[in-house]
Amino acid sequence: MPKVLIVEDNLDNYELARRVLSARGFAVQHAPDADSALQRAVDDPPDLILLDLGLPDADGQTLATWMRRIPALAHTPIIACTAWPEETARQMVEAYGCDGYIRKPINVARFADQVAGYLREGQR
Amino acid sequence: MSVSELLREMRPPAIRLVSAATFTIEQLTNAYNQTRVDYLVPMPMNAARLAEYIHHYHVDLDASLVALEGETMRGLAMLGVRAGRGWITRLGVIPTTRRRGVGRALVEALLDLGQRRGLAAAQLEVIQNNEPAYNLFARAGFETTHDLLVLRRPPAAAVHPPQGNAKWLEREVALGLLAERGDVVTWITETDSLVRVDHMQALAVALPDGSSGWLVFHEQKFRGLSLMLSRFVLHTQHGEPANVARNLLAHLYTRYRDLDTQIENVAVDDPHVPALREFGFIESFRRLEMRRPLP
Repeated sequence: MPKVLIVEDNLDNYELARRVLSARGFAVQHAPDADSALQRAVDDPPDLILLDLGLPDADGQTLATWMRRIPALAHTPIIACTAWPEETARQMVEAYGCDGYIRKPINVARFADQVAGYLREGQR
Repeated sequence: MSVSELLREMRPPAIRLVSAATFTIEQLTNAYNQTRVDYLVPMPMNAARLAEYIHHYHVDLDASLVALEGETMRGLAMLGVRAGRGWITRLGVIPTTRRRGVGRALVEALLDLGQRRGLAAAQLEVIQNNEPAYNLFARAGFETTHDLLVLRRPPAAAVHPPQGNAKWLEREVALGLLAERGDVVTWITETDSLVRVDHMQALAVALPDGSSGWLVFHEQKFRGLSLMLSRFVLHTQHGEPANVARNLLAHLYTRYRDLDTQIENVAVDDPHVPALREFGFIESFRRLEMRRPLP
């Protein structure tokens, strides 16, 4: 069962994502801020990280930078979740070493497929 | 039950405005985060960051307001007070309570408070394209004074080797340089804000052609480790600003190639901006600064 770490401070957003991914058979972990996300990812490295770019302690770009420096996470797919305009999201994702992004609000019908697709790409 | 009684029953309870000083930082943080859950750039905070924000920017909680419906927090607006001026910040209304005049009531109450405290002017920043907020402030008499950039740069080495002599300057000298500045100064980049920030320092360069300038910046720490660079103030003393900035950045990122950078409220027409773009700064979003006098 693939493990997905959702880094998201908004509990409603997290709950929605958790329900969709759990129904698809993913094992879902949660971290509400950068500090706990880093700890959680180091203690139990996930197969994929869904990263909200706006977090209350340090933002998602900074967290992605830290994660990439940790050997156990260096190749873990990091997918940014953001409501930023397309062009800004694309630039941030490229610049900060993320593997892609999913627009917020998530499309419930497509979300699990998007995550599964990024997981497959990460395994290549 | 009569029709009028029924209508009274259906009407939502009145919103009342209460001093923010009667709430804990945790309560204010929660209210602030709730007001921005649907923003394009929500910028959530934890209690420690909000407390730091209040300290850095002279936010006066006695003059800041919370909108309550019954005992539930529905909105928030804070007022920074400095040198006879007020700064409206962290204004927001919880999405389900919008379009009921709560934002307008908060702004009017803050302006009224400011006037009663003898403030001569009020200012604020609003994210560009946040039309409801912009319209609210424009209707309250605010006018746009500056277009501002919020920029990010991922960790990376300098894009070309540095030239000239560089001097690294400690906090006290760095803060002393700010008296020379001629850039657009917004509330968060004013010297009164920067003197409250730890780990400020500066870099000065003198180039072979006689050009010179300095960069004051902040090295932000997290868990005792260097996290990112921020709070840039770039100043050219002699020479062409883009060239001076290019060499300041080249020296800076030769030393700090592993650090992320975020800088806020750089004027769109600041002459150092071309060098920032050349060094890989990405535009996160734009803000408008707005001001109005208080009669």
